[in-house]
Amino acid sequence: MDNIWKRTLLYLLIVFISLSILIPLSYLVTISFSSQVEVNDYPKKILPSLYHNLAVEWDSENQNYILMRKNNEGIYRELYISSKYDKFRDYMKSQLNVDLSTERIEEDFLQAKNTGEPTEFKYYKSFLNNYIKFFTVFSGAERALVNSIKAALITIIISMSIGGAVGYALARTAIKRKETIRLASLIVRMFPMVSISVPMAVLLVGYGLFDSMLGLAIVYSIPNIGLTAAITRSIFMGVSKEYEEASLVFGATGAQTFRKITLPLVLPAFAASSMYAFITAWNDTAVSLLLTNKNETLALLIYKSIGGASSIHYAASGAIVLILPALVFTFLLKNYITQMWG
Amino acid sequence: MEDKLLEKSYKEKIIRSPYLLLVPAFLFYLIFWFVPVVSSLYESFTSSSGQISLNNFILVFQDSLFLDAFINTLVFALLSLILQFALALSIAVLVNQNFRGSKLFLFIVLIPMALPPSAIGILWNTGLVESGWINSFLVTTGLQGLLEFLGILESIRLWKAVSGLEAVMTLILIDTWTVMPSIMIIILAGLQNFNEEYREAAQIFGATRWQAFKDVVIPIIKPSIITALLLRLISGLQVWLIGVMIFGFNNVPFLVERIVYYTDKVRTATNSYKLANAYSIFTLALVFTVAFLFLRVTGEKKGGYN
Repeated sequence: MDNIWKRTLLYLLIVFISLSILIPLSYLVTISFSSQVEVNDYPKKILPSLYHNLAVEWDSENQNYILMRKNNEGIYRELYISSKYDKFRDYMKSQLNVDLSTERIEEDFLQAKNTGEPTEFKYYKSFLNNYIKFFTVFSGAERALVNSIKAALITIIISMSIGGAVGYALARTAIKRKETIRLASLIVRMFPMVSISVPMAVLLVGYGLFDSMLGLAIVYSIPNIGLTAAITRSIFMGVSKEYEEASLVFGATGAQTFRKITLPLVLPAFAASSMYAFITAWNDTAVSLLLTNKNETLALLIYKSIGGASSIHYAASGAIVLILPALVFTFLLKNYITQMWG
Repeated sequence: MEDKLLEKSYKEKIIRSPYLLLVPAFLFYLIFWFVPVVSSLYESFTSSSGQISLNNFILVFQDSLFLDAFINTLVFALLSLILQFALALSIAVLVNQNFRGSKLFLFIVLIPMALPPSAIGILWNTGLVESGWINSFLVTTGLQGLLEFLGILESIRLWKAVSGLEAVMTLILIDTWTVMPSIMIIILAGLQNFNEEYREAAQIFGATRWQAFKDVVIPIIKPSIITALLLRLISGLQVWLIGVMIFGFNNVPFLVERIVYYTDKVRTATNSYKLANAYSIFTLALVFTVAFLFLRVTGEKKGGYN
């Protein structure tokens, strides 16, 4: 009996935690697919809707069509009045995310006119509208995306080459003061990136690297070289030296041995630390806020988009675009998570 | 004999001098870490005429929001750490049983730590506004009515219309939502690697379950927890983004928020660079002091690295 209660409690707790994570995310996804009219709905829906329930009535007195929408409480509310079909087309496209041809609208609306009764229609939304709009409404969103990828790739190259060499030296060679090096790399990882950004701005201006992705990548590499060294060190330690020795005995050169034997064995770990480097660069806002001027990264653009209340649904779809790669890489890295935090 | 020869040829073939491998890293940190840190230290202790002075720090201490920023930062870092650790530990202990769906649960729980901070800002901003999803959720599920019946809420709550400690608490809750799962995962990993025989041995020798947990389990998984908490504490001291995205600049001041405010928002003012620099040196000193104290209190000589 005691056991059943314990299990029930356990499952209740698990469901509670899962829901408290999934519900906020579900709302964010819904907002990212919402049209302008839905953004103003209250209470908001938790799941995205695929279509609108609309009704059209012909007002013969004023010679106008009245467009109505069924809101979340199930009540039809007036949205727009006009006599012109192309006005309805533009209205529905910009406010409802419904993309229909004028001919189709004319055909449907005439039906309402002929019956003289309010006629209901179910119009499907063009689902990815906000995502396409995000890259057009926010000037520079496309460039920001390219910038983010660029900064992330440079960070990967810098931290893999420099950090990988340190990791190899720590694992495989008889250098002295390994303990000091490891401690130093922990201190560097603890160092607040924002604190270094202020003096870094002056330095980067001097080198002509201010407002450039290389400049950002250099700052991102500061903690990442240390992290890469730690990960690659533990991986090189894990690859048995005997394989390499065997290869050398059979006459391979050092370079051949590294390329054909060592590298394939350590490749997964290299992939893992590249993904960390990617995530650091991709997620950062503070450093790029301080060290760029015109060349924004995507995360910075999302940060700045918070001001425009009328365009929060576009900001939400931008946030989803920002989330997806970070999410994929974090899950690929699941097995290394303790290393990232410890 | 042959072994030694082999060893020698191996080393010669792979690396002529192993120290060469460290040169790029050394140069990188010299140019891009040591030079800026030293110049910023120098800058912070000199006046604009080049004389050694504490003027910049006096400017910082005179900044009308300094004290608030300092207190908010400490409160945020410490309270969020305690809350997150307590929650993470108890949930990890509860979940440390292979139940059906544990893989799926792990998957869900890992999502928040993958989210970029500015996306989290958007997520909670859309929630906390008056007609946002938090109030929508409360109304749709009927929880609003229940909470009003219980006297917890009077009417639709304006989540963003808070200030001071209440605002800091809001941010702590958001931070807990974001990172508590990841701390839990680390503790869980520690618990799962834990050899159950030690605990059984302790219990055979007469320890209660709680004693066995406190005196056997915790000390063994301690190193990985300490490092995880240390890194959390350090990033807690650097909080700013979520505060700015939800409450704006100057409303809920934090130390790093001041740095960003003075470098970005008031780039043109004469003192702003000096102020930002002095603030960042102050933050740096605070981070290392707190990290040092934390390691002293938890009795760890150095971080449980790897």
